[in-house]
Amino acid sequence: MNRPFKESLSLYWTLQKAALRAETGYRFNFVLLVVMGIVYQGSGIAFVWVILSQFDSIGSWTFSDVAFLYSLRLLAHAVWIVPFNQVYALDELVREGRFDVYLLRPLNPLLQVITGRVRMNILGDVITAVTMFGFAVTAADVDWTPAKALYLVLAVLGGAAAEGAVVLLVSALSFRFLHTWSAHFLVDNVFLLFGSYPLHIFGTATTWILTWTVPVAFVAYVPASVLLGRTGDLSVSPVLAWAAPAIGFLWMYAAYRIWVRQMRHYQSTGT
Amino acid sequence: MSALISVDGLVKEFRKVKPHEGRLGSLRTLFTRRYEVNRAVDGVSFAIDEGELVGYLGPNGAGKSTTIKMMTGIVMPTGGTVRISGLDPWRERPCNAAQMGVVFGQRTQLWWDLPLRESFRLVGAIYGVSPADYRESLERFVDLLDLGEFIDRPVRQLSLGQRMRGDIAAAMLHRPRVVYLDEPTIGLDVVAKDRMRTFVEETSRAGETTIVLTTHDLADVERLCPRVILIDHGRVLYDGDVQGLKATYATHRELVVHLAPDESTGRTPAVRAADVLGAEIVSQEQGVARIRFEASRIAVQHLIASVNQNYPVRDLSIVEPDLEGVVRRIYSEGLTP
Repeated sequence: MNRPFKESLSLYWTLQKAALRAETGYRFNFVLLVVMGIVYQGSGIAFVWVILSQFDSIGSWTFSDVAFLYSLRLLAHAVWIVPFNQVYALDELVREGRFDVYLLRPLNPLLQVITGRVRMNILGDVITAVTMFGFAVTAADVDWTPAKALYLVLAVLGGAAAEGAVVLLVSALSFRFLHTWSAHFLVDNVFLLFGSYPLHIFGTATTWILTWTVPVAFVAYVPASVLLGRTGDLSVSPVLAWAAPAIGFLWMYAAYRIWVRQMRHYQSTGT
Repeated sequence: MSALISVDGLVKEFRKVKPHEGRLGSLRTLFTRRYEVNRAVDGVSFAIDEGELVGYLGPNGAGKSTTIKMMTGIVMPTGGTVRISGLDPWRERPCNAAQMGVVFGQRTQLWWDLPLRESFRLVGAIYGVSPADYRESLERFVDLLDLGEFIDRPVRQLSLGQRMRGDIAAAMLHRPRVVYLDEPTIGLDVVAKDRMRTFVEETSRAGETTIVLTTHDLADVERLCPRVILIDHGRVLYDGDVQGLKATYATHRELVVHLAPDESTGRTPAVRAADVLGAEIVSQEQGVARIRFEASRIAVQHLIASVNQNYPVRDLSIVEPDLEGVVRRIYSEGLTP
């Protein structure tokens, strides 16, 4: 039973809406988590602002440039986290054997994982990302052309795919190792700490690692450089910089294949 | 015609880390790994025809659940094959899943925070049940399993019995060809158990559904299953009907003798070992003697005659072994009949 994509998408909506209804039943938690999301993400940009009110620029990037980069990453992060946040809960599902249920139904297990629950704090992430990007995009020094606008849309999707791919790879370890919380924590922090600033300030070696072994650079740093006309700072060629979204999609494709492959190590639980 | 379900030489091994013992043992475990291989299922073979209702039995840790998990496509076999109407449950998981229904007594498949009705709707959508079929099936289950009074309540508020009924309905809404019921009566009270059994009986009677039932409750098996497959230590010990199981393994019966007090002394005599033709006197108290004998070696009429001749007997009865006793014996003593 192989479903057409359209049918899967409509099932995705049906299940996601059900998860949302389940979650909004707990109203207090709902509000609290949204507020928490906003405060958490907002504190990050406040930090950048504090730094840049002391220094004029970071690695020759001005506050408006860094804010653009920062909020671009936040936007890509939000685009990934909204549909896929339950991937973080996979190790728990595996450990408790609740993943069994997803294998019993004629529907993609990953699709069932991600529609299993809606985490409301991600709404806070979205609100912060959209608001900040709204400000940053007006402040940033970008010569907008239709090509650049299209590139922006693709870059956000590609960035979401690049971050998502790494998180998905980590979650695939759940099938063997059962506990992946610390690995997720590490990955999240790498993307947050290194992905939100002009990467070249961390030095050549770090830049190389975060470009070629983990696609941190392709989430926001490379696309932001393209849009801000700063490809000269990059260690990658301008052609590759324009291809950043494609690299994100390739990572996601590979990660998904590996994820499916790792499923064979699922051992369920004793009962 | 080939069987609907065929399991052939099925093996599943689990590899787990064997911790080091002693001082700094946990630290050594972190760095040097030793593995321990546990063969949970060790060469299981059987075939089940369309429409059969088979009880799959075994003590805890026998490999029951693991077999079921390989048949349902949850875990990948280490060796051997499973085919469900020609499909490999692991490699062709979606196709196999579309034609099966599974109920785990220990784990619900319903949406916890939503009304039961919502779960049915979502399951219907996942299996692509047409609206007409959906309405018909739902109506039938609401009627058969008496879901009407709680169908609009969130699943988390349901009692265990209600939840199990909901789970069964959800698993069968798409009219699966094969149904796996894993401990469907676990934790249920007498009334709820009976309702569940009646439902399984009726579903099976129509002949269109093949049912594999694992349970610890042997009353389930005695009432429902014409055929049982018994496994232990990952191997099939017995495959056949319940009568055959008893005949093979329950070779002993028990003669219970109620003795009358002796007319002259007023004392109740005790049965002596010499008078029971080599049978074993299991217990003897308050005028009731329990004598265990092997039916193929000692004819019951000779034993009764001997007892009758030597003692004043008030009442006699023969206790046939129940499945429970048979299985308990097999579990504790192993597979030799």
